[in-house]
Amino acid sequence: MIQLINTLLIGITAGSIYALMAIAIVLVWRSTRVINFAQAGMALLSTYFGYEAMVHLNSFWIALPVAMIGGAAVAAFIELVFMRFLLKRSAHGAISGVAPIIATLGLLGVIRSLTSSIWGGQDVRIVGPVSNVGYSLGANTLAFSPLKLLILVTVIVLVLLLSLLFQKSNMGLSLRASAFSPEIARLSGIRVNGVRTLGWSLAGASGAVAGMFQTVNGNGSFSPDSIEFSLLLVSGFIAAVIGGLDSLVGAVIGGLVLGLVISFVLMYINSSLFFIAPFVILLIVLFVRPQGIIGAKAARRA
Amino acid sequence: MHRFQKSNKLLLFIAFGFILFLLSNRVDELRVYQGASIAVYVIAISSIILLTGYSGQVSLGHGALLAIGAYSAAVARNEFNVPVVLCFFIAVLAAAFGGVLLGVAAARLTGPYLAGATLALAIGLPSLANQFTILGGEQGLIFDVGFPPLSLGEDFTQYKWFFWISALAALISMWLLSNVLRSRFGQNWRAGRSHEVAAQLAGINTGRSKILAFTISAGVAGLSGALLSMTIGTVSPSAFPLALSFSLLTGAVLSGVTTLSGVMIGAVTLVAIPEIADVIANRIGASERITTNLPGLIVSTLLIITVLFVPHGPVEQHRSRKAKKLLQKKN
Repeated sequence: MIQLINTLLIGITAGSIYALMAIAIVLVWRSTRVINFAQAGMALLSTYFGYEAMVHLNSFWIALPVAMIGGAAVAAFIELVFMRFLLKRSAHGAISGVAPIIATLGLLGVIRSLTSSIWGGQDVRIVGPVSNVGYSLGANTLAFSPLKLLILVTVIVLVLLLSLLFQKSNMGLSLRASAFSPEIARLSGIRVNGVRTLGWSLAGASGAVAGMFQTVNGNGSFSPDSIEFSLLLVSGFIAAVIGGLDSLVGAVIGGLVLGLVISFVLMYINSSLFFIAPFVILLIVLFVRPQGIIGAKAARRA
Repeated sequence: MHRFQKSNKLLLFIAFGFILFLLSNRVDELRVYQGASIAVYVIAISSIILLTGYSGQVSLGHGALLAIGAYSAAVARNEFNVPVVLCFFIAVLAAAFGGVLLGVAAARLTGPYLAGATLALAIGLPSLANQFTILGGEQGLIFDVGFPPLSLGEDFTQYKWFFWISALAALISMWLLSNVLRSRFGQNWRAGRSHEVAAQLAGINTGRSKILAFTISAGVAGLSGALLSMTIGTVSPSAFPLALSFSLLTGAVLSGVTTLSGVMIGAVTLVAIPEIADVIANRIGASERITTNLPGLIVSTLLIITVLFVPHGPVEQHRSRKAKKLLQKKN
């Protein structure tokens, strides 16, 4: 019984971090119709920003916003100087379909090797603001600590803020309009290009939080070659696809589903299936319900 | 676009092989080894060109297919003592089988979905190899093709032997591939890539044609995986990292994914990059952490630059420029 509860708790916490990555992927997809495979690289870079802030200012609560702002700035920069140019140049031709994919992969490689050559390939350590020792329930220790509670609360607050932004503000309205139809949005006076940059920087901030939390939730260390990084690389994409790529709610659900499935597979089947399990989940979702759990029927065609 | 007669083209391949043979006797050991690597990359890159440029599917998981080929060749050699030539055939068949399975899945996915799925596979599959004792865990397996036959002379080196095997394999597979790409299948692939619905209306079963493309591409990738592990001597999960899949993709994009004729460009570049990086690092006196990351940085930067400025590769670029000039002359 206690094992079941622990598995659930671990799954939900990990899933909420995947949800943040998935939100980042969805935000970019909605604004530019590109799957950003470099998102994990951007999260990596922002986590290193956060690490620098930790080293100099020694406070997680300063490091987190520093990472978010840094991530947003990097994402906006990439959208402004790189993606615009790319989308304009590769609009037609034989490889127009694959050019953005290849380009974001190249970006991932550039960010990754830049980060390793600046900070070295070694692990960096980021200590969480509260302890990661589990609460105790009678004689048992739960796999749920003040830190995990904090992660969960922060993620919920961020998702709520984001959905408020999308549903209630003018900015959110223009974000939704540009995602729905760039041409119509442009005709009604929305600066679609600016909105795209905004979408990317929101995604960058969201990925930064995911990177920071993934680091403190694991063993507190992070490097371009770590398992945490590989996991961010695939989990965001898979969770976003499970959720249907087009909806923020779907991304959250997708992240939670992915986190829970991985956690149950690890606990009850075999821990060596750690990396192959996400792949299997992805294939099952793509075959059974390619439009995702929430996505509209046409989502896959776009 | 000029076309050779079939027999002429065969002669050309044979002549090229003969030149390679003469060259291999004149250059030093390191160059011979690099020549072998180039031949291996030529095969691997052409498998990606076939898949991405012709049938329009992106695979980031070709490293995993290379691994399948390498492992099956090593297992066949070590456990069952199969002759070396047969080992390579087994590698092709095993990887092609993996390719069928993957292709059935891939035919139902489009662009980014396929890329993401194969990415997840490339990360997941090598770690699975640790689970089976027959595959040797983290250390991996030894793959030894044996010494060169004595009839070739006393001073015939091991590296030259590697070069001969891989260059011959590269020539044969290029010859076969260039014919396949010109055949009905190649045309079907291109039709499906350009416009799927139109291809279907023309009576092409695009699903089946995509699966076939994946199968052939996987078989070719398996061959290059077995050859790669031959030149290294061992097969282990760490020999097939995600970076390998990425650099193969880079090689394909550099060569120009829409044509097989530029494949040497990508292969030579991939082999030359570590050396170039070394020279640059020495020139600027870089620290060790920059030196180790410089090759990766150059590969990714080249990838981005090529996608931005010569998306169809240098060969195609040259061709279209020539065609434009011709048009202007006529007018």
